[in-house]
Amino acid sequence: MQDTVTTSALLDPSHSSVSTQDKSSTGGHTSSTGPQPSKPSITPVPAKSRNPHPGANFHRMRRIIAEDPEWSLAIVPLLTELCIQHIIRNFQKNPILKQMLPEHQQKVLNHLSPDLPLAVTANLIDNENYWLRCCMQRWPVCHVAHHGGSWKRMFFERHLENLLKHFIPGTTDPAVILDLLPLCRNYVRRVHVDQFLPPVRLPAQLRPGDQSDSGSEGEMEEPTVDHYQLGDLVAGLSHLEELDLVYDVKDCGMNFEWNLFLFTYRDCHSLAAAIKACHTLKIFKLTRSKVDDDKARIIIRSLLDHPVLEELDLSHNLIGDRGARGAAKLLSHSRLRVLNLANNQVRAPGAQSLAHALAHNTNLISLNLRLNCIEDEGGQALAHALQTNKCLTTLHLGGNELSEPTATLLSQVLAINTTLTSINLSCNHIGLDGGKQLLEGMSDNKTLLEFDLRLSDVAQESEYLIGQALYANREAARQRALNPNHFMSTITANGPENSVG
Amino acid sequence: MNPPGSLADLDPNLDEHLSTQILAPSVHSDNPQERIQARRLRIAARLEARRREALGEYLDGKKESEEDQSKSYKQKEESRLKLAKLLLCGTELVTNIQVAIDTREIHRRVEEEEIKRQRIEKLENEVKTSQDKFDEITSKWEEGKQKRIPQELWEMLNTQQLHCAGLLEDKNKLISELQQELKTKDDQYVKDLKKQSDDISLLLERMEQQVKNVMKTFREELCNIEKAFEVERQELLASNKKKWERALQAHNAKELEYLTNRMKKVEDYEKQLNRQRIRDCEEYNTIKIKLEQDVQILEQQLQQRKAIYQLNQEKLEYNLQVLKKRDEESTVIKSQQKRKINRLRDTLNNLRSKYAKQIKQFQEENQSLTLDYQRLVLQFKELQKAMRHFALIDDEKFREIWLMNEEEAKDLIARAFDVDRIIHTHHLGLPWTAPDFWFLKNVGPISQQPQKSATQIVEEMLMHTEEEEAEEAASEPESYLDLPKQISEKTTKRILMLLCDESGFLVESKLLSLLLPLEQNECYLLRLDAIFSALGIESEDDLYKLVNFFLKYRAHRLSSSLQIKSCSQASTEKASMEETSMGSELELAEQTEMEGEKEESLVEGEKEEEEETPPYPWVIHPNDVVKILEAFVMGLKKPRDSRAPPRVQKNVRNNSKDSEYWQALTTVIPSSKQNLWDALYTALEKYHIVLTQRAKLLQENSSLEQQNTELQALLQQYLNSKINSELQVPPTQVLWVPKK
Repeated sequence: MQDTVTTSALLDPSHSSVSTQDKSSTGGHTSSTGPQPSKPSITPVPAKSRNPHPGANFHRMRRIIAEDPEWSLAIVPLLTELCIQHIIRNFQKNPILKQMLPEHQQKVLNHLSPDLPLAVTANLIDNENYWLRCCMQRWPVCHVAHHGGSWKRMFFERHLENLLKHFIPGTTDPAVILDLLPLCRNYVRRVHVDQFLPPVRLPAQLRPGDQSDSGSEGEMEEPTVDHYQLGDLVAGLSHLEELDLVYDVKDCGMNFEWNLFLFTYRDCHSLAAAIKACHTLKIFKLTRSKVDDDKARIIIRSLLDHPVLEELDLSHNLIGDRGARGAAKLLSHSRLRVLNLANNQVRAPGAQSLAHALAHNTNLISLNLRLNCIEDEGGQALAHALQTNKCLTTLHLGGNELSEPTATLLSQVLAINTTLTSINLSCNHIGLDGGKQLLEGMSDNKTLLEFDLRLSDVAQESEYLIGQALYANREAARQRALNPNHFMSTITANGPENSVG
Repeated sequence: MNPPGSLADLDPNLDEHLSTQILAPSVHSDNPQERIQARRLRIAARLEARRREALGEYLDGKKESEEDQSKSYKQKEESRLKLAKLLLCGTELVTNIQVAIDTREIHRRVEEEEIKRQRIEKLENEVKTSQDKFDEITSKWEEGKQKRIPQELWEMLNTQQLHCAGLLEDKNKLISELQQELKTKDDQYVKDLKKQSDDISLLLERMEQQVKNVMKTFREELCNIEKAFEVERQELLASNKKKWERALQAHNAKELEYLTNRMKKVEDYEKQLNRQRIRDCEEYNTIKIKLEQDVQILEQQLQQRKAIYQLNQEKLEYNLQVLKKRDEESTVIKSQQKRKINRLRDTLNNLRSKYAKQIKQFQEENQSLTLDYQRLVLQFKELQKAMRHFALIDDEKFREIWLMNEEEAKDLIARAFDVDRIIHTHHLGLPWTAPDFWFLKNVGPISQQPQKSATQIVEEMLMHTEEEEAEEAASEPESYLDLPKQISEKTTKRILMLLCDESGFLVESKLLSLLLPLEQNECYLLRLDAIFSALGIESEDDLYKLVNFFLKYRAHRLSSSLQIKSCSQASTEKASMEETSMGSELELAEQTEMEGEKEESLVEGEKEEEEETPPYPWVIHPNDVVKILEAFVMGLKKPRDSRAPPRVQKNVRNNSKDSEYWQALTTVIPSSKQNLWDALYTALEKYHIVLTQRAKLLQENSSLEQQNTELQALLQQYLNSKINSELQVPPTQVLWVPKK
């Protein structure tokens, strides 16, 4: 294409052809062999038709011979291109982006290196594509869906998470995190940290640790094992919505020590103050952190009357009845929608207090008390509460030593309640009669979609029948939804729920 | 929902209908009966079709829809159910591990608790036993302290040592046991860890399996669904193709049919055309002949027409000439007229301008005149004012002069009376009485007596009559008002009372309510006042006129009623004649009244007869009062209207009485007295003369006496004088005589 265009452009001025010929004579000589056989094949056609102009034909032939087939305007880059290249090269020193035209901006962003310092790029670049490149470069696996679909947010959240994970109090400079704060404050909404390193005292501590494990544990001074204080960070992040913390050490290997896994009172107090000050927090998770009753109460006290908190997850801790009582108080003093106390040490009194709070609650949607030990007393109290509650949809009571009396009460609840959609009673000792009673209760229920009775000594027949009833309910719900898309979404939503629960 | 099969089913029906309709009577046929029948058939067929359709759908609608949808829908449903089941089972399978671990954990916990409890119990027991032992040992220490014998002490120490060793051994045993337990726990922990990792790997495996399964099944189901759709599509295509082909075939057949029909029709038409052509040719020939004949006739006519035309042309030419001439003439006339019009327009314009000028002039004149008029009016007013002023002044002056003159005259008269009296008493020796004349009491101009208002009179009259009644003196008062002349006080009063009673409608109701508590007389008075003001009666004269009118009316009524008796027909004329004799101002009123009366009199004739009989003829029937009043008001109106101009003259007092007055003043002394006076005068003159003579004489006498005395004195002197002595003869001798 380029060739034909240039030839047509050069046809008219016959005088200039001489110079081009001269110019290209040196370079074009070698390449003339290539195009020559093809060009004459084209030229004869007009030559025959235009016999009275043999001169022109001759000129053209000569010029075609002189053509440089590799010559093209593309060889000379455009000035804008050059400028853009320059800008890209010097972006770190002189970041120019907003002043450019959109297409040029795009070009610059496509060629910027992901290694540029964050101080330059953080507040300047909003382009997702650039941050996608940044993320892909740093981490091989990226679930952008976990970060609200925004690559930039993901980059900053994971960056911050990384820094926090490897922060060692006393040795790491706190400025590392505080410097990042102004850059990421507008983008970080979720902080998920699954390890907090204790301060390094290894050289001093190892020696007594070697001598006797028990002795070193007893002598351990509390303040020495405080972790990073989140207060400044949480106060600085203006859009923080989710805080997911695990006071834990990963990959400790043979350096294992009990005191590596301590959630100290100071940690607890500072965390409580931080979350109390954070009014945007919606989800707070503190799992696997050895939170006992007192610490749980400190944290829950700081969460009382929190304006937006919706989800509280304190699973896999050591919370007992007092902590459960605190959580019950929180239920009536906040807008909590999800409460997770799975794998704690809640017993009957704690469950009773929770049931008392639940009886008149209008916010809580999901309650998880898996792997506690509330037993029949607590289970009955919860069942009584559910007779008046009109809000709760999901209840997990798996592994709670429940038996027949709870089942009878629950069957009554099933006949009355129209909001519950999911109940999990797996790993209990409900027994054959309890299963039958639950089946009776199910026969009157039209809303329950899931009812887990695995490993609870229920007769297979009744379990099957309950499954049938649930299937009918699910079909009815699907018919109610009417929209097939909605149906699909419910199925997909149900899938992960099942896998999680 | 609408199944395509049903459509396919319907199509043959339609075809059938079409065929039947073609065979059956057509809607487009010429026969009306046939058309009606066709429509009926059509309606029946439609109803039938609808019923069949409804029935069919009702019967196998569900089945059909199921069947029709099935291929894809069923497949979709099936795969959905399958997938749901798969997902459910898969998740159950995956979560089963978790549940199992949970249960294990629970069991472990329970066991742990149990073990813990046992261990604690054991420990407690151990503590108790060891404590006992320890106590024993310590108690023995006390015993040992008391022992003095070294062997015993040694023995005891040995036993103590043994005991302590036993205690220590126990403890060590316990510790080793616990350590053993710990070790087993550690092993357990390692095992648990392994198991957990196994579980997790199992979980992962299952999850992977599940994912794979799900993916596979999803793919399969997708394939199935696609296949189902494909099959359905194929079927649909096939069925549609079949339908299409059938429709095409039908179409072709119809086309063929139409073609043959068309051919036939074309042939028919050709034949008809040929026939028509022949017929047309014949017709054409005949018409041609006819037309040729017509042409000949027409040519003849044309010739005639041409001749006529020639003639007409000539005539027309002549006419044209004439008309041209006329036209010329008319143009001339027109021009003349135009000129005339122009001239007239000029004159009109002139006149108009003149007219405008005149108007302006007149307007100006008018303005100036109005100005003049206004000025004059002003002047006139001023003049009037001046005149009034002067009149007042004149009046004043007149009055003053009058008074002066009167005073003078009165002086003179008094003097005259004095003289008269002196004459009478002194000279004539007669008693003198002072003459009493009206004019002597008069002071000031005569006719300036204030005219009383009607109400005042009434008031006075009422008061008067009351007094009269009280006095019971029937004697007529010498009329403080010298007027009503022949009208008595009582009648007036009665008339007024009547008026008062009858014409209450003239009084305002408000006033009436106010009047209630008042005395009768006052009440009457106020009422009358209101009535008079309503009637327009202001002055005394008016009041008397009213009273007179009443009386006259009654008199007339009487007479008229009498006349009615005699001759009712002539009564009107006569009455009218009589009316003329009455006051001129009443004439009109009477006439109007008469007109009303003419009818009333006839109607009320009988009534009047009755009225006549009553003993008191002066009674006026109350019913008539209103009529009388009406008549009176009508009569009064006229003079009222014309009263305005004379009002000015009213101020001009009449001089008629002045001369009389003055004349009377001059004749205070009657001529007889003057004659007396003349006689007296002459007598007195004579007496005077006598007296003067006497006086002269007396004077002479006195002068003479004086002379006498003087002479006596002189004589005396002389006598007394020395000369006398000297004298030969003394005079004294001579004079002795008189002395004696």
